[in-house]
Amino acid sequence: MNSRERVARAMRHEAVDRVPVMCQLALGHYFLNCQSAPLDIWHSTESFGEALVALQRRYRFDGILINLPGRDPQWRSYIQHIETGADGQTIHWKNGWITECPRDDNPHVLRPDKSRFFVAFEEIDPDSLFYIEPHDLSGTSYPYCWGFSDDPAPGTSFFPPWQCDTIRYVLRATDHVVSVHSEIFSPFTQLLELLDYANGLMALLDDPLKFKACLKALTRGTIEWGRLQAACGVDAILISSAFAGGGFISPQQYSEFVLPFEKAVIDGIHEKSDVPIYTHTCGRIADRLELMGATGTQGIDTLDPPPLGNVDLADAKKRIGDCLFIKGNLDPVNIMLKGTPEGVICEAQRCLEIGAPGGGYILSTACSVPPHAPPENILKLAEAAAGFDVEKSNRSGVETGGMTLS
Amino acid sequence: MELQEIAEFLIIGHAERVEILTRQALEAGYSANDILQQGLLAGMDVVGIQFKNCEIFLPEVLTCARAMKAGMRHLEPLLRGSTTTSSTGKCVIGTVKGDIHDIGKNLVSLLLQASGFEVVDLGTGASMEKFMESIQTHRPQIVAMSAMLTTTMTQMETNIATLRKQGLLEGAKVLIGGAPVTAQFARDIGADAYGRDAMEGTAKARELVQSLKNH
Repeated sequence: MNSRERVARAMRHEAVDRVPVMCQLALGHYFLNCQSAPLDIWHSTESFGEALVALQRRYRFDGILINLPGRDPQWRSYIQHIETGADGQTIHWKNGWITECPRDDNPHVLRPDKSRFFVAFEEIDPDSLFYIEPHDLSGTSYPYCWGFSDDPAPGTSFFPPWQCDTIRYVLRATDHVVSVHSEIFSPFTQLLELLDYANGLMALLDDPLKFKACLKALTRGTIEWGRLQAACGVDAILISSAFAGGGFISPQQYSEFVLPFEKAVIDGIHEKSDVPIYTHTCGRIADRLELMGATGTQGIDTLDPPPLGNVDLADAKKRIGDCLFIKGNLDPVNIMLKGTPEGVICEAQRCLEIGAPGGGYILSTACSVPPHAPPENILKLAEAAAGFDVEKSNRSGVETGGMTLS
Repeated sequence: MELQEIAEFLIIGHAERVEILTRQALEAGYSANDILQQGLLAGMDVVGIQFKNCEIFLPEVLTCARAMKAGMRHLEPLLRGSTTTSSTGKCVIGTVKGDIHDIGKNLVSLLLQASGFEVVDLGTGASMEKFMESIQTHRPQIVAMSAMLTTTMTQMETNIATLRKQGLLEGAKVLIGGAPVTAQFARDIGADAYGRDAMEGTAKARELVQSLKNH
């Protein structure tokens, strides 16, 4: 069984030879642990593709999450000059904008006056929204345009021709033996990124009808982007929905402003493809696991345990484990970043014992592996999975009245 | 009019009404401090309880804070010299270097101001030098730091160690908060308190000032 088959079987709750391992790595982790400069990893399709594959191999992960889109091959031609300082590099673009590239974290795109771009909710016309890519080279913009080119929508499609290049690169480099996952942003996340989080959250109460009209418009673009990814041949699509947890909104607000739109996205992609789709929502989500399931998602990523979140893996397994696959629950900060290799093994063992019986479990950190997490800690995940007896755990699951394999 | 009415509109996040009622209360002869205590802060106390009990979430808290700010605009100039409020304490607050997140920090800043603190807000991405300079200038009782990222939470440790080494935390207490931050982390890095959310952070700041007064 290769890694790709192993992850696919786990996502379908089928028997696996061992529990698959796959974590989302913070982009800063690639910056700190790969050969290319952070500036290149962020801006260049090839450098990021290389980084993704290098760390998947180093950490013996069964899958890769591609969490940046393909980049404009002409990106260097928009640069005026680059400054190098103690904390990283700063790109000065020809149009006057600036990108600060720290050595360990996501770059920030700033306007000439060094402020970030946000648009006022009152200024938005929902009809002019389609998709907001928060990781675009020039950040978010309104009306939307890609990168630093003057062309608001290069090519005939809204999505530029290079948008899928990283996916193509990784698929080629991994030769179809590793599970390759791509990412789309939830309409709710896109809107909050465009408005600024605080203003976005208030807008939801100020004018719920307009807020929903914006989400509906963004749903169309999200479906199109998801369909493009599926057509490239990815093994799964992750919906990044970071602001849908209890740290931000109530279960009622989730039902109103997240659920219907993520459901429409999933249904829309599934009209054209049967690619598995799963959801990443961090923080406190114990009160909304079933609601998340109602979007039609096939799996839930993250499941942050206390103190970062409030999900008890056994409880989650009991509530949603029959219908959805689970990926996560290992504390990325207190175990992976600040813990020891022995501590990682111990915690991974706990997750495996609870998550593995009955299948449908992928060993993973809850949220992203932090930039400064020691590589020796991350390596212990594959070691823990390799040493875990899946069949024995299924037998004990049956004996204790747990779920059985389908 | 009753000051309770201001509290009621604040609890539902109605900024316009809070602003109008605050202005009317001043015109009716109420003191700025009474309006603050019995109107705005009374309302915010209820908001804090509702938030703690998960009856309301961040969107509601933010709109209540916006309403509070609308009222505060009229009270601030009058409160600035008032002995009742200026005695609470001074706070230098900022999101640490490398971090651009400020929802929590802004809420704490607002609530501290409302509680009578003189707040020096360093904004986001505040460098160590900025904290040092501000502490030297303002001599605060509270130094509050926020970080939303695992990459930046370690900056708080560096800041605390350096500020202590430089003797800049004598007579001051450090309060920290942010999504990846825990009470244990606060203890590990030598912070004096941790606020799980803006309400708790504000309450902890008050306690810390009280503990300084008691010594």
